[in-house]
Amino acid sequence: MHRPSARRNSLQKPVELNLVPILDSLVTLIAFLMMTMSLVNLVSVETPFPMVSSEQNQKLVDEKPLQLTLSFQENAVEIWSPFAKIQPLKIADSEPGKPDLAKIHAFLVDVKKKFPSETKIVLVPTPTTNYDVIVSIMDSVRILDATDAAIFSKNPKTGLDEQTKTLFPEIVFGNLLGDS
Amino acid sequence: MRSNRGSIRNRFRRKKLNEGFELQLTSLMDALVIILIFLLKNFSASSVQFSTVNGIQLPNSVGRDIPPQSLQVIVTPEGMTFENERIVDFVQTAQTLEDGSSGYKLKKTDLDEGGARIIPLYDALMKAKEKSELLRSKSMARDEKGQPLPFEGILAIQADKRIEYDTLRKIMYTSGAAGYRVFRFLAQSKDGG
Repeated sequence: MHRPSARRNSLQKPVELNLVPILDSLVTLIAFLMMTMSLVNLVSVETPFPMVSSEQNQKLVDEKPLQLTLSFQENAVEIWSPFAKIQPLKIADSEPGKPDLAKIHAFLVDVKKKFPSETKIVLVPTPTTNYDVIVSIMDSVRILDATDAAIFSKNPKTGLDEQTKTLFPEIVFGNLLGDS
Repeated sequence: MRSNRGSIRNRFRRKKLNEGFELQLTSLMDALVIILIFLLKNFSASSVQFSTVNGIQLPNSVGRDIPPQSLQVIVTPEGMTFENERIVDFVQTAQTLEDGSSGYKLKKTDLDEGGARIIPLYDALMKAKEKSELLRSKSMARDEKGQPLPFEGILAIQADKRIEYDTLRKIMYTSGAAGYRVFRFLAQSKDGG
């Protein structure tokens, strides 16, 4: 009687990986990640409360710093310096209530090239300025884009020229205490 | 002869039954791995998470700073919430109730110092500050001089993007008067999420 070869029979059986434990661990990992995941990715934009002291004011008057100021006006934004360190520029809004962020950013990059060690800017919004607009302006005055020209400033600690990564990151609201 | 044929058929049937039903897991594994990679990419290692509120539209920001743990005031079209406790209700008119918008108008009784300071917010902030200072005085953590660590005075502001600067200024002025010196505007990242 013909009997099928046992060797051929055993060779035909494919080797199968046991995927069940891997599957178990994957499902556990996914469940953990989904539990801890936040759907809204929050970021923060920081601003300090302005400090006022007569001593500091006198020092400012003596030193005459740049004190770069960005004032919101009706359908425009003005960038100026109280000590006339830069030529003031008025930039009209691209749309009603929406400042021309590209032009503001480009002008501030030029100012940064002239004053590479300056990090402060004063914002003076009007009472009706939208919060969304304020945050978008804060973004455009804080961050240097990858497409912007490289700006170098001297590191006071090392005395070496280093590439600046930010524009004017220290933002202060100029009219928090007084009238606007 | 007949018995032989019968036994072969039975053997064949037995073999078929023993093979069992096998689920094809490869495609399922593929899908799970893709989901896992997506979740890992979006996973934040930071343990601090600020909760967001329904009905609030946060402004968008290109910033990448993840907000650290701090006290938080939430401004919704209906009112202000400080540390999960409603402290101020905005004035609602027939129009705002109808279209769901808000004028973010504060009641006159909630304001003082010429309308610049929000009284309930000031009280809540002072209470939180005193509580924090008490905890710091009892804590073992000390500065170089052996004094309790000073109050940080950081306030995270989570506000609807339609809010006007006038309301925001009142919040910041009140917070400044209560000893909070740094504000963190919470925004939604433009990169995703």
